[in-house]
Amino acid sequence: MEVTVSMDPLFLAWSSCRRRRFQRCADICSTLLAESPYDQEPAATATAAHVSEAVWSLKTRALTEMVYIDEVEVEQEGIADMMLDESSIAQVARPGTSLRRPATSQAGAPTPAVRPMTQSGRPITGFVRPSTLSGRPETMEQAIRTPRTASTARPVSSASGRFVRLGTASMLTHPDGPFINLSRLNLAKYAKRPNLCKTLFEYIFHHENDVKTALDLAALATEHAQFKDWWWKVQLGKCYYRLGLLREAEKQFRSALAQQEFVDTHLYLAKVYQRLDQPITALTVFKQGLDHFPAEVTLLTGIARILEEMNNMSSATEYYREVLKQDNTHVEAIACIGSTHFYTDQPEIALRFYRRLLQMGVFNCQLYNNLGLCCFYAQQYDMSLSCLERALALVSGDEEQADVWYNLGHVAVGIGDLTLAYQCFKLSLAFNNNHGEAYNNLAVLELRKGHIEQAKAFLQTAASLSPHMYEPHYNYATLSDKVGDLQSSFTAAQKSEDAFPEHVDTQQILRSLRQHFSSL
Amino acid sequence: MSSVPQELKDTSVASSKWLDAHYDPVANLYTFSSCIALSDLHGDGENKLVVGDLGTGLCNMKLKVYRGTGLLSESTLLDLPTGLVSFLMDLHEPRTPAIAVASGPFIYVYKNMRPYFKFTLPSLDINPLEQDVWCQAKEDMIDPMTLKEMLEGLRDKSEIPLSVRSLRFLMLEPHEMENFVHLHKELPIRRQTVITCIGTLKKNMADEDAVSCLVIGTENGDVYILDPEAFTILYKMSLPSTPTLMDVTGQFDVEFRITVACRNGNIYILRRDSPKPKYCIELSSHPVGLVRMGKNVVVGCTHETLHGYTQKGKKLWTAYLPAPVTTMALMDLPTRGFQAVLVGLANCEVHMYRDKNLIGTIKTPDVVTSICFGRYGREDGTLIMTTKGGGLIVKILKRTAVFDDRDSTPGPPIAQSIRLNVPKKTKLYVDQTLRERENAIAMHRAFQMDLSRLRLAAARAYVKALESSLTPMSASLTEPLKMNAVVQGLGPSFKLTLNIQNTAASRPVMNLAISFLYDESLYSMRTAFFKIPLLVPGLNYPIDTFVECLSDKGVSDIIKVFVLREGKSAPLLTAHINMPVSEGLALN
Repeated sequence: MEVTVSMDPLFLAWSSCRRRRFQRCADICSTLLAESPYDQEPAATATAAHVSEAVWSLKTRALTEMVYIDEVEVEQEGIADMMLDESSIAQVARPGTSLRRPATSQAGAPTPAVRPMTQSGRPITGFVRPSTLSGRPETMEQAIRTPRTASTARPVSSASGRFVRLGTASMLTHPDGPFINLSRLNLAKYAKRPNLCKTLFEYIFHHENDVKTALDLAALATEHAQFKDWWWKVQLGKCYYRLGLLREAEKQFRSALAQQEFVDTHLYLAKVYQRLDQPITALTVFKQGLDHFPAEVTLLTGIARILEEMNNMSSATEYYREVLKQDNTHVEAIACIGSTHFYTDQPEIALRFYRRLLQMGVFNCQLYNNLGLCCFYAQQYDMSLSCLERALALVSGDEEQADVWYNLGHVAVGIGDLTLAYQCFKLSLAFNNNHGEAYNNLAVLELRKGHIEQAKAFLQTAASLSPHMYEPHYNYATLSDKVGDLQSSFTAAQKSEDAFPEHVDTQQILRSLRQHFSSL
Repeated sequence: MSSVPQELKDTSVASSKWLDAHYDPVANLYTFSSCIALSDLHGDGENKLVVGDLGTGLCNMKLKVYRGTGLLSESTLLDLPTGLVSFLMDLHEPRTPAIAVASGPFIYVYKNMRPYFKFTLPSLDINPLEQDVWCQAKEDMIDPMTLKEMLEGLRDKSEIPLSVRSLRFLMLEPHEMENFVHLHKELPIRRQTVITCIGTLKKNMADEDAVSCLVIGTENGDVYILDPEAFTILYKMSLPSTPTLMDVTGQFDVEFRITVACRNGNIYILRRDSPKPKYCIELSSHPVGLVRMGKNVVVGCTHETLHGYTQKGKKLWTAYLPAPVTTMALMDLPTRGFQAVLVGLANCEVHMYRDKNLIGTIKTPDVVTSICFGRYGREDGTLIMTTKGGGLIVKILKRTAVFDDRDSTPGPPIAQSIRLNVPKKTKLYVDQTLRERENAIAMHRAFQMDLSRLRLAAARAYVKALESSLTPMSASLTEPLKMNAVVQGLGPSFKLTLNIQNTAASRPVMNLAISFLYDESLYSMRTAFFKIPLLVPGLNYPIDTFVECLSDKGVSDIIKVFVLREGKSAPLLTAHINMPVSEGLALN
């Protein structure tokens, strides 16, 4: 017997959607809708109306899924949000209560002499997240000037930047106009139909990135649901958050949590508090979440991230370990613990963690770079250079290449081959003209050769490129001190002290200069 | 009136020796230790606090008298007080002391808080040429501009300095001169010096209530001793420099000793019968405070040090202080035979030193600018301090307080007992060292081979970068240049700033040009080629240019900058600018 009947197209579309073949699903839905357009003319029968409704809903879902990004994760503060922040109450917060001023002198916190710092005075993490890309700059000029390349630049505001770039399809043009014309949508009508309006909301929010319309729809829908549907409250909160109305968002999330405990809601609420620069409250929210959902990985990761940003490395590592107990393939946790071990002088343990990542199938330039460095500092010399070589072969951009050459330069300094080191640092600069660290190290090498003018110029460049580093200032201070330019030495030493108040050598040079100035 | 802040009541040993009698953070008292005195003004056995308040430095100079916690009286001073002393000028009963306030070239003497006498310093010699010039001006023989030129000539050449009036005249704008000359030409010229410090010296008896002479130091380096009743100059001595701090001991008729710290950083010791200084102490930094303790002199210096010297200028000891000295005073308790030096520090502490031993520390809410210790009211051991913010602190020494003579600074430094956080060597590490030990030769060979390969790879990449001048600094010996580029702006227009620096030791670089290479469909530049000026070595030349982004697709590209030398096709150096995404459209 022969079956010639083809599969029901709607079922096929649904199945494709479940198999995450969204383009195919959308195509099938489009043909179905072309045959019996929904919303255009009154359908012949009630069943047909239901079918076309289902097709329409499925297509919105498919289109949304194509561009969906997890709202919990993506967080990048724009320049405008950062510089024109009016929700911050205290300009000078007590140390340890704000993400802006992490307690630098906390016991056990790594110093910039051991672990490199980001602009905000926070040690670099083992895992790049949007909010750790670079810290909050202090002045507007610094905010706009920081090396703003396509991959690292901050958007003007979070409403414009990354969401527009990755989270939506609206920037790309459609051949036959958008699927749904938002301006002609009767929101009140859809709000009364709970089945349809949830997918519609997600479409508007994620695909069209039209937060205001999404907010209108959510408001109508929650009213229709008599304020009893926690889902709508969460969505309202999301909309408010995107619009920057953080206190309203907080209210909605709190109300949703009162109705229904949910992991996502906790994450959203904590995100609001992080934006409000209240890390302690965010931690409490996470911990409350953990009471209801013990050992939830996302909540644990959230706590660890906040602790890490607040320079509390030991507690952060503990939470990352807790994460690993639940999910032993958690890349972020492994990477962060690895980097902490590396910077606390235990490269052999860090090597283990990075090897674990390699076994898990992570295969990129950064990992080989870290492996190479760990091998070098753990005295496994036979492996180190081959790892770095492989890292060099795997680079995907100029900046990565610059970083690998920079690390090779460090290895070269370690084995005393200064010619090689010089070449490596110069290559690093050739690939990334804004590599402040390479400028600084090159200056030290130039100084050893006796090229004082050149060293001075490089140090000045390094200081202007990365004002958060103390090394160029300190080096400039010692250099000027040797040359006899005490005034420049003093100003440079003061800048170095600002960047790293506990640096003993800076203190010493300042003390000797003060003594010199006050003698007769 | 005000309460003692909580932080003063800490449990440290030093503060428990003192009772907090009064603290007024807004007493509006701005003064220094030289302008503060305790005195039984009315002869009623109750000491008052007399303060020459400097006010804001321009106005509100006041002479204030405090009794207990309240202000008893205040009278306006005409000029900034430089010193204030209380002294007995006669033997009349009741024995009420007078107050002498030095300000400018005058000493105002108050009795019963009423103006009693004004002493003026003798005027100094006037340059006869200056006198002539002003005479001519008086008779309208010369106009103000000529007068100015002549005075300037005099100022530069003559040995006797110009008078204050001439100096003031030289400071004026041309349009103000006419008026000034008109106003002042009738008056005779005078050259006056000013008083810088003041002290008292017992006349002929060592008693507590003996008659005292005034001792004053002046700006032109003279020290005068004045008769207490007639206010005539009894004795004049001269110093090589201007005195700033003064301490006097002894009796005028018998033997006395004046210790003066001068502005040239030396301390001179003057004695009776010699108009020139007898001994000289050369300090290594400027003196801030001078106190005599028994037969020794204690000096606080800008070096954050405290030195002890003998009367003859022999150095005894040096103590190192944690912060710069703001003021110093003597703490003298004759009833208990106790003497110490109080040193106010810039870190809001007052330290008590006996010889070089720190015997106590007082924490204050603000930086102390003046200290006075003595009998206030009916209480013998009272410490009065005024702060930088205009506050007044009164503390009373407990009668049970005992000061140990031993040094209360802790013996070994605290850092010595802190354990370093050295991570333990893990088992893994031991295993790895074992591996290293066993396979040493193989590892070494592998490493050396990798190293050679790396050297080769680095050299290749380096040569490639040099050949195409990819680096942002040029390697050529004739034009050692360095460039870095900064992009500013949010788009669609960006500002490019190229920082070019010539890193040669002494040779300038000329004939250079800059050109840009970019995708013309994405960016447009007003000038894509321009010449750069002569580059002086060591200076940073920022060169600005503007770029317009033409695309609205949210894409960005690299702009290459070349620094070229005239007549050569290969660039000297290249910089790559990663352009940021233009945000201008997203905002609309």
